Amino acid sequence: MNRRYVRRDGDRQADNKLNLDPARGEDGMHLDACIKCGACTAQCPVAAVYPLFPGPKSVGPDAERLRLEGIALAPGCLAYCTNCKTCEVTCPSGVCITDMILQVRRQEQEAGTGKAICRLGMRDHLLGRAEYLGRLGTLWPPLANTVLGWKITRRLLEKTLGISARAPLPRYGRKFRTSDIAPVVGKTQSHGETESYGETERYGQSEEHGRGKTEHGCRKTEPSDRVKTDRKGRSTQKVVYFPGCFISYNDEATGQAVVKVLEHNGFEVIVPGFHCCGVPLTANGRFREATANAQHNLGLMQPYLEQGIPVIASCTSCGLALKEDYPRVSAPGAQRIGAQTYDLFEFLWVLHERGELRKDFREVQASLAYHAPCHLKAQGIGTPSVRILRLIPGVKIQELDAGCCGLSGSFAFKAEKYELSLQIGSTLFQRVQGGVKEKAFQAVATECGGCQVQIEHGSGAPSLNPVWVLYQAYGLGISSAIG
Amino acid sequence: MWDGLVIGGGIAGLMAGIRAQERGKRVLIVSEGTGSLAFASGGLDFGTVEQLRKIERHPYALLGETVEEAFAYFLQCCPSYHGAWGRTGMALTPLGTLRAADLLPEGLDASPLTHANRIVLVVPEGLKDFFPEVVKANLQKQFISSNIQLKRIRLKEFADWQAIGKPIPDTVYAKFWCSEQGRETLKNLIGEITRKMVSDSETLVFPGLHAAACPEVEKILAQAPLPVVEMTSFPPSAAGQALYDRLRGRFKALGGELLIGSGVERVEVESGQARRAIVKSKGKEISFTAKVFVLATGGFFGRGSVASSTEVRETVLGLPLYVPPEWSESRFLGEQPYAYTGVEVDHSLHPCDPVTGKVLLENVFVVGRMLAHWDPWVGHCGGGVSLSSGFLAGGLL
Repeated sequence: MNRRYVRRDGDRQADNKLNLDPARGEDGMHLDACIKCGACTAQCPVAAVYPLFPGPKSVGPDAERLRLEGIALAPGCLAYCTNCKTCEVTCPSGVCITDMILQVRRQEQEAGTGKAICRLGMRDHLLGRAEYLGRLGTLWPPLANTVLGWKITRRLLEKTLGISARAPLPRYGRKFRTSDIAPVVGKTQSHGETESYGETERYGQSEEHGRGKTEHGCRKTEPSDRVKTDRKGRSTQKVVYFPGCFISYNDEATGQAVVKVLEHNGFEVIVPGFHCCGVPLTANGRFREATANAQHNLGLMQPYLEQGIPVIASCTSCGLALKEDYPRVSAPGAQRIGAQTYDLFEFLWVLHERGELRKDFREVQASLAYHAPCHLKAQGIGTPSVRILRLIPGVKIQELDAGCCGLSGSFAFKAEKYELSLQIGSTLFQRVQGGVKEKAFQAVATECGGCQVQIEHGSGAPSLNPVWVLYQAYGLGISSAIG
Repeated sequence: MWDGLVIGGGIAGLMAGIRAQERGKRVLIVSEGTGSLAFASGGLDFGTVEQLRKIERHPYALLGETVEEAFAYFLQCCPSYHGAWGRTGMALTPLGTLRAADLLPEGLDASPLTHANRIVLVVPEGLKDFFPEVVKANLQKQFISSNIQLKRIRLKEFADWQAIGKPIPDTVYAKFWCSEQGRETLKNLIGEITRKMVSDSETLVFPGLHAAACPEVEKILAQAPLPVVEMTSFPPSAAGQALYDRLRGRFKALGGELLIGSGVERVEVESGQARRAIVKSKGKEISFTAKVFVLATGGFFGRGSVASSTEVRETVLGLPLYVPPEWSESRFLGEQPYAYTGVEVDHSLHPCDPVTGKVLLENVFVVGRMLAHWDPWVGHCGGGVSLSSGFLAGGLL
C-alpha cells in the first residue's frame, strides 16, 4: 500500500510491501482512506457557490480512481480549485486531496491540454509572476498605482487579458530592502559568508530606519534597547527571513516591522535575494518555473540551513510552500527546509514556550477580530498569532471563523472569477461588517496580505498584519489601524 | 504548557473543551479533520438511561448522575435545542418517517404534525437526496387523517444548478435561506401559504431549511402563523454541521484553540504521566505539552482504534483495549460485539488495564466512542455517552 496520500495511518509496516510504480505517481492507490463522506465538498468554498465546479471529492479521490485506469477528466475541470486546501484540513480521514488535484494539473500542463485559450494562457503567465510585476511596480510605485488606478487601464486589462476591472489589485509600495534600515557599522558587514549570495541583505542590530510615516503609519521611534547578546549572554542568534512578494513589493513596512520584532528578541535577521516562493506560479499552472524558483531559493538557504538557522516566513502561503512543496524539490537543502521553516508567530510561540520571548509589553488598547488564512490552517500549527497577541495586556482578539476570504492569490483577479470570489468571502465580510457595526472590534488582524486586501475590499473594514500589534506593544512604533 | 489538550474534535472532545474553558482552563483541541458531527442528523440520543445504567460496565453505570447534568448543560450551550429529561422527541428522517431523539433543534421537532389536519410539504426544486413522493407517502402512512399537499418552489438563485441538473446540497440551501435575499423569499413564501390556509391546524414541512444555523431565520419562523417542521438529511447534513459550528464557536468564544487538519500522531509518556502530544504539522513534527490529556479520538470511525485481522490498537497512546472474544455476529442489524471494543476506565475516566483494573495514566481521561462496553446503535445512546463523558472530563480537567 502506498500512503503518500494518507497523512496518518496505523499500518505503516504494510506500506513498504506493495511495490508500486514510482514513475506513475501510483499515488492514489490507497484511496480506500476516502470513505466518500463528502465532508470536503460540503466545506469547499468554491463548490458551495459555483455549481459547475464538481468539488474536491469528485475531482480528487473520485476522479483519481478513473485516472488510475487512464481516464482523465475534461481539461479545465480543475480550473476553479483555488488550492485553498480547506478540503484537506476538513477531511476526517487524512486524504491529501489537493495533492491529487495538483498532480493532475501538473500532468495537464506537461501534456499541454490544460490551457485552451491563448489569452488566458497569457494571463496565467502574467499573474503567476507576481514577482516580476512587483519589480516593475516598485520601480516607480506612484506611477504604477496611478496607471493601475485608471478605469481605462483596468477595462483594457479586462478586455485584453481577462484581469477583472473591479478586483482589488494590491497597491505597489517601496520595495522591501535593507538600505531602509541603517545597519550597525562594523557588525553586519563582518559576516562574510553571505557575500557570495547575490542580493543578500541583512539586518544587524540596526538603528531605526529613517522613515517617517509608512503605509501602516508606523511613526519613527527612538531606537529600542538593542541587545548585542541575548539575555542569557549568548551571542546573537540568527534567522533567515523569507519576506515573499507581498511584503517585497506591496507592503514593505510590515516587512520592516517583522524584522524589528525579531531584532527586539535578539535575532540577527538575514534576507538573501530570494525569488518568489512559487505559489502564484503553481496556481497558474507554471510548475516548472515554480520548481526553478524553489531551487534558486533553496540554494540561497542551504548554507544557513546547514548551520541550523531557522527560516521565518510571515506570509502564510510562502510558509506553506517552504514546508510542504520545497522538501519535494530536488535541491540541496530540500531535506532540511521543511523542519527548519517557521511561520513568524509559530516561531515566536516556540520562543515563548522556551521562556525566551521578550515580554516587555506596553499595554495596547486594541480590540481585534482574527481571520485565519487558509494556508495557515493548512500548516497544522493552530493559530499562534492569537496566542501571542493574547499575551499582550489590553489586547482583545476573537477569531472570526468565517471561512475563506475568496481571494486565493490571483484567483479573484480573473474576470470570470471575481464575482465568485466575493460570494466565497460573503460570510466573512458579513461577519466583519456586523462586528464593526456593533463595535465588537475595530479591525481585522490576519497574516496573509491577500486576505487583508480582500477583507478591506469586501467589507470596508481595516485589516492589518498581527505583527503590528506586537510592534506597538514592544514600543517600536504606532500602527494607525489600531491607534 | 496547556491546562488541557483534547485529542479529537468531535462532540465529546468539544464538550470537554467547552466545559474546561468555561472553568477558566486553557484548552487546545487537536483534530484530524472536522470530526463526525457533520455526518450526524443534528438530533442527539440518550437512550433509556435508567435501563442502560444497570448494565455492568456500561459508561452510564460509571457516569451516574453526570448524564442528567450533561443533558442540562448541553441545553445551556445550545439554546436553539429543546428537550426534556425522560421525554423523547420525534424528528422526520430524510424519507419522511419518524425517529426518536432526546435533544433536537427546535425546528426539527416533528410534534406539531400529530395534530395537523393539513400538511404542506415544501419541495425545493433540485434539493439533493430529497424524494418528495416517498416523503409524502410516508407522512400519509403515519398521519392517516391529514391531507398532505406538495408545494413546489423554484428559486431563480439556483438557476445555474438547475440548468446543469446538479442536485443542490441542503447545506447550500440552508446558506441561501440565511442570506438577506433568502430571508425575504422565505417570508414571502410563508405569507403565500398562510393566505391559502384553510384551517388553523396546518403545518409546513420544510426540508433544506435549518433555522438553528441562523438566528434571523429562527426569528422569521417564530413569527410565522403556522408551525414549520424541518427535516433531517443525509450526510453531510446542514443540521449536523450547524451543531458542529455552534459547539466550535462556543469553544473558541471562550478562548479555546482548535487545531484542525493534522491529528495527534502520538503522545509521549514519562514516568506514568502523559507529557506531550506530537502533532504532524507541515514540514515537521511539533509538540504541545499539557497537564492533562483527553482522548476523544472517536473509535474506529475516527481512527482512534485501528483493527487488523489479528488485533485492535489504540492509535495515540497505545493503551490496551478491551476487545470482545467474537467481533461480529451474522445478523447484520443484530448486536455487533465489535462495538464494545474500547478503553476501560474508572469512575473518573482514567484508562485502566483491562486485566488488572489498575489505572494506567493519572492525567488522561478517555471519552466518547473510545470507551469500552457500549453500542450506540443498540443502546441509542451515542449522543448521551459522548456528551456526558466529555462533560465529566471537562469538569475534572
